[in-house]
Amino acid sequence: MNIYRHELKSFAKSTIIWTCSLTVMIVLYLLLFPAFTKDIAVTRKLFSALPKAARAALDLDLDTFFSLLGFYSYLLNFVVLAGAIQAMNIGAGIISKEYRFKTADFLLSKPVTRTKVMTQKLLAALTLILATDVVFISSALAWAKIMIEEPFSAKIFLMLSAILVFVQLIFLVLGALFATVFSRIKSVVSVTLPTVFALFIVDMIGSILDAKNYRYFTPFKYFDSQYIMKHAAYEWRFIILEVVVIACCIAASYIIYLKKDIASVT
Amino acid sequence: MNLVETKDLTKYYGKERGIIDVNLNIKEGEIFGFIGPNGAGKSTTIRTLLTLIYPTSGSATIFGKDIIKYAPEIKEEIGYLPSEVFYYEKMRVIELLRYSASFYKRDKKETEKRIKELAELLNLELNKKVEDLSYGNKKKVGIIQGLLHRPKLIILDEPTGGLDPLMQKTFFNLVRQENKNGATVLFSSHILGEVQKLCDRVAIIKEGKIIKVEKVSTIIEHNYKRIKIETSDKIDSKYFAIDGISDYKAENKTISFLFKGNINVLTKKIVGLNLTNLWVEEPDLEEIFLHYYEKD
Repeated sequence: MNIYRHELKSFAKSTIIWTCSLTVMIVLYLLLFPAFTKDIAVTRKLFSALPKAARAALDLDLDTFFSLLGFYSYLLNFVVLAGAIQAMNIGAGIISKEYRFKTADFLLSKPVTRTKVMTQKLLAALTLILATDVVFISSALAWAKIMIEEPFSAKIFLMLSAILVFVQLIFLVLGALFATVFSRIKSVVSVTLPTVFALFIVDMIGSILDAKNYRYFTPFKYFDSQYIMKHAAYEWRFIILEVVVIACCIAASYIIYLKKDIASVT
Repeated sequence: MNLVETKDLTKYYGKERGIIDVNLNIKEGEIFGFIGPNGAGKSTTIRTLLTLIYPTSGSATIFGKDIIKYAPEIKEEIGYLPSEVFYYEKMRVIELLRYSASFYKRDKKETEKRIKELAELLNLELNKKVEDLSYGNKKKVGIIQGLLHRPKLIILDEPTGGLDPLMQKTFFNLVRQENKNGATVLFSSHILGEVQKLCDRVAIIKEGKIIKVEKVSTIIEHNYKRIKIETSDKIDSKYFAIDGISDYKAENKTISFLFKGNINVLTKKIVGLNLTNLWVEEPDLEEIFLHYYEKD
């Protein structure tokens, strides 16, 4: 597991920064909750004045917004967006770094199979993402418990938080697959930002137009917070879709990586 | 025993030629030179042997094992130094070398000792960050990571670029030492002097094909002579129309050429001339090499 340890070390700093940023973000946002709910009538009137399309784009549901869980699920949209970028950065970065920094020759002339290289790198990426999520989610829950007087279901809170994990996993493997296929990418963010934002925009436009079936096309909509709050469950077909997408991306990454020629650096 | 054996090894990059039907046999314990101009296919052959790229057709074995099927097992005993070295910039040299060592099943203390020894020999600071190293010093890191596990097969692909002459000498001595201790060496280069100094046998590759494999000593001592003749009368350019002549140059009453073949045939021809001077010299590999690469 030497590659695994090596990758954990080399991504530790950026992961700590991401984790702190996400955590600080949610802590600060939750501070706003009392302000929004202090005078519900005023806030409601304010939001009602927004056109319906704008509310849809912001994923604003006025029926749930004034409960802690509703408020949290709204904030989570932004956390998930940032988390998707982080995950895809790691996924694409951990694979493409050997090409970008021309160290692929060094690594692959060592006595290690390409399967092992890929496995250890994916495991390292997974560990980093899960570490981020554990810190983020436990801090958010603890902070909400301390801050908010109103009682709320910790189970639903965690189920909502898990959206972050699910979305990150998809973007992680998407990133890894992308970097495996296009090994000549020069910069990771030039790939991850457009991809993440494109899928986020698909989500927004889909919400505005209330389009049919658009949810299948953007991981940001696989897990609907309103549904989770209402039923205390995930939608099975999207769980299955999630698993299928992840499995396909991982399988494709292995197949391509195992067969691929490593381009010469000269 | 053949330590490395390739059989009709062929690699195309799409439609672009890499190597065609390369057949090489490298014997255990020898220093085998691999020579040819840039783009001839030296690196392609080496990268195929290391399964960094996969052959289009043909096969190869190292230590008697198929290179693809037993890749990790084989690489356990290979030390590879590429022509251009790149390492993880943010790591310190010692960390990088330990990371490199962590891939091999070797005694940790032994390896650590070996790193220190080699670093001292090559005069390399182990605590510097890779990004702060000069190109020559990065190359030294490359040498150490290639040798720290005492490999049975050392593959050097144009290794001397970036090393100053003194360091080259140290490096060659190191390679010779490893060879004495039992390591087989595959040494690729486009600089003939290097190969001449170090190698037992040499394969010459041109446009993806091996055109000759020969003992370095044979090439230099036996087969080729550089002949220079000065005569009192101008020589007809067709006078030396015999087999084995190449690189024929005539300038006034002086002619020079490379000769390979029966020396008696040549001397009989020379007897018929009125000489004012005659030189018979051992050509260096460079001249022979140039002759091979002359366009017809």
